[in-house]
Amino acid sequence: MKLFEFFITKIFLRKVIFSIAMILLFFMANYTIFTATRLILSTFQGYQEVKSMNQEGTYIANLNPDSNIDMDAIAENGTQKVYDYLNNNFKYAFYTDGFIASLPNNDDMEISFSYMNEEYYKLNQFELSQGTDLNFDYQFNKDKEIPVLVGKGLSKTYPMGSTIKIELPVLEQSMTLKVQGVLKQNAYHSNFHALNSKNYYNFSVFLPVNQEFITHANIDLQLNGLMDIIILQTTKEKVTNLSEIMQDNLGLKFNFFSQKENFDYFNEYYLHSLKIMSIITLILVVIIICHSVWNALVSIRLMLKDFTINLLVGLSYSKLRKILYSYFGILFSINLIVIFFITAYSRYGSWLRKDAAFVTYGLFGLIGMDWFALLVVFLFDIIFGMIIVEIMLRKIKKIPISLGVLQ
Amino acid sequence: MRRSLFRFVDRFELCITYLFCFSLNLIFDYVKSLSVDSYILKAFLENFMNYQTLINFLFTFIVVVFHYQMLHRKKTEIYCRILVGDTILNITIRYTLECLMILGFVYLLSIAINIYLNFNLISNLYLVCIFVIYILISAVRVGKYETF
Amino acid sequence: MTNIIDLSIREKVYKKKKTQLSILNNFKLEVKAGEKIAIVGESGVGKSSLLNIIGLLDTDYSGEYTLFGSLTDNLHASELAQWRNQKVGFVLQESALIDSLTIEENIKLPLFYAGTEKNFFEPEYFENVINAIEIKSILKKKPLECSGGEKSRAVFARGIIMKPQIILSDEPTASLDVENRERIINLLFKMNEEFKTTIITVTHDLEVANRHDKVVHLERSK
Repeated sequence: MKLFEFFITKIFLRKVIFSIAMILLFFMANYTIFTATRLILSTFQGYQEVKSMNQEGTYIANLNPDSNIDMDAIAENGTQKVYDYLNNNFKYAFYTDGFIASLPNNDDMEISFSYMNEEYYKLNQFELSQGTDLNFDYQFNKDKEIPVLVGKGLSKTYPMGSTIKIELPVLEQSMTLKVQGVLKQNAYHSNFHALNSKNYYNFSVFLPVNQEFITHANIDLQLNGLMDIIILQTTKEKVTNLSEIMQDNLGLKFNFFSQKENFDYFNEYYLHSLKIMSIITLILVVIIICHSVWNALVSIRLMLKDFTINLLVGLSYSKLRKILYSYFGILFSINLIVIFFITAYSRYGSWLRKDAAFVTYGLFGLIGMDWFALLVVFLFDIIFGMIIVEIMLRKIKKIPISLGVLQ
Repeated sequence: MRRSLFRFVDRFELCITYLFCFSLNLIFDYVKSLSVDSYILKAFLENFMNYQTLINFLFTFIVVVFHYQMLHRKKTEIYCRILVGDTILNITIRYTLECLMILGFVYLLSIAINIYLNFNLISNLYLVCIFVIYILISAVRVGKYETF
Repeated sequence: MTNIIDLSIREKVYKKKKTQLSILNNFKLEVKAGEKIAIVGESGVGKSSLLNIIGLLDTDYSGEYTLFGSLTDNLHASELAQWRNQKVGFVLQESALIDSLTIEENIKLPLFYAGTEKNFFEPEYFENVINAIEIKSILKKKPLECSGGEKSRAVFARGIIMKPQIILSDEPTASLDVENRERIINLLFKMNEEFKTTIITVTHDLEVANRHDKVVHLERSK
């Protein structure tokens, strides 16, 4: 330890410019790897979510990119006709979210309401930390209270069994909601059309909807629900007919893709994108490694005398190796801490901005994905460190001690 | 060039470091000009594009490293040259001019590529300013080695 | 008395890109404990190379080397380092000091590598050495602030701080005035008398060489 301290204070920090350069280069490499890993992981999580829905006989609606939504042209009975057709001919999973409502809470967050029917709820199998699953058999306008699930962030203000009185914009009427369960922390929903992006449910309310509820809801809910509607246990022919009905009543062209088409799309679009991203990351990292090696070799040029005099008076190469590994260990640790703080700050930023959809819970605000990416960075740093230290040692060993001393 | 502090390897290294920094800026401009369809790629690239200037600036630190180690290695040479009749002022002027010449050469090269790719010609200019500042700072340091 | 150094070199080759230089061909050296040996010869015959081999700095040669009864080929790199630290002391030219350390830190540098199982640092001995070579006033200075003579004495102090069994000195008096030269030589010989330290000195100075027990003349290989 004393020896290590000696090397740090008397040799490495005497030429601090190299240490700074190394930290900057490592930071760039670590940041690139961290970003890429998180993106890949997030996409993979989204893919897993979609995969659970993407089964034989399941078709997910996708609004044709060429369609223009003109709300004025769509009549409410148009959307209702579509739902009537759906109710009579299909089993479907309904889900829509992002309906903001003013609901007082301890954290002053804007609360997002998510509406889903029983089929969607079953497909996703949301995990609860408290309470029981949602009940979809309530009698709309007859039962006094509608059972709901809340996110972890709301469970402090609205604990199990409490009631929420609120005017729901989608119904344009006042409702009483009863908290029946609390979602597990950091429950999320991925965007089906951008699998890497997701919304967290920590400040959301899950509202169960049934046919009656949809019938009473306004056009916003009805239309939004159709955007990502999932048709279950059906055939291509039947969904083609549905698409025609939707076009006739809404003037919008919807595509329904089969399981195979969705997989093909994933392979073509997502895998291709991920491959390009990985290649870019690899190229960047290789360039940074080359620079770091150059920087390390240049530093040896200037510190050679210091190293070799120490070797002359008794420092062994194995001890020097340990010192170099420890030194780079410190540099890597500094970078890991910096990345950790940047991530923690970015997560905390969602709390500051009251951005309920991105607010997460975890140790210092970091979630599993962040820790995993940090682990990948850590593993990369070990390899990175080994490459640089071994190259440095080879260079030092190549120069005879006697020559280095009299440099 | 016998009076120069630079050897071939020094010139080569300096060229490569400048070239790298200019290329990085060029790559950023190039990626910006691309219409990337992929949502994932866009999200990934935005992590870098949003900090283009900062990243470029951080990478210019390798030029600082070059100047620092170059002058450190040339301590004895500077001292010896003074011993045999050179002056610190002349050494500093020659060092500064040669650095500027190399910078000019690499900058012209980057301009040629910018013209070829139809990119903004002044996008690299801030890097030139940074490098000139580095050269001037390192030129001041040359004087420190007058007495070995 | 048994030999502490038993060296037999068949050949030491220096390779450059296109040329190669062979020195110390079929060279043999036997040294007993407490002997004072001077190595002389014209420039380029391999005097310093020989010193590097004896001092375990250079293991790239063909031949056998037995030091303190152990074949050095069998020693691990870390053992070589330990021997360099505790059994061999180097007294080199004045430039062999780390510029960023003070003279005191430079002198005490070998103590860092001496290990914790034994306390090598003897304050009294350190004081004696410092006083004997009169460098107390420069202990807190950096090498760049010292004169050539002061730096030579500091290098000498570092070489003997561990009370090594062998001291290898390479032109220790080359850049010194008469007074300092005498001081260094006397200190070397005093080490020999007091601690039976073996002294091996590379020198061009025949007067210094003749004060040793044996003088080894190196000649260019034919």
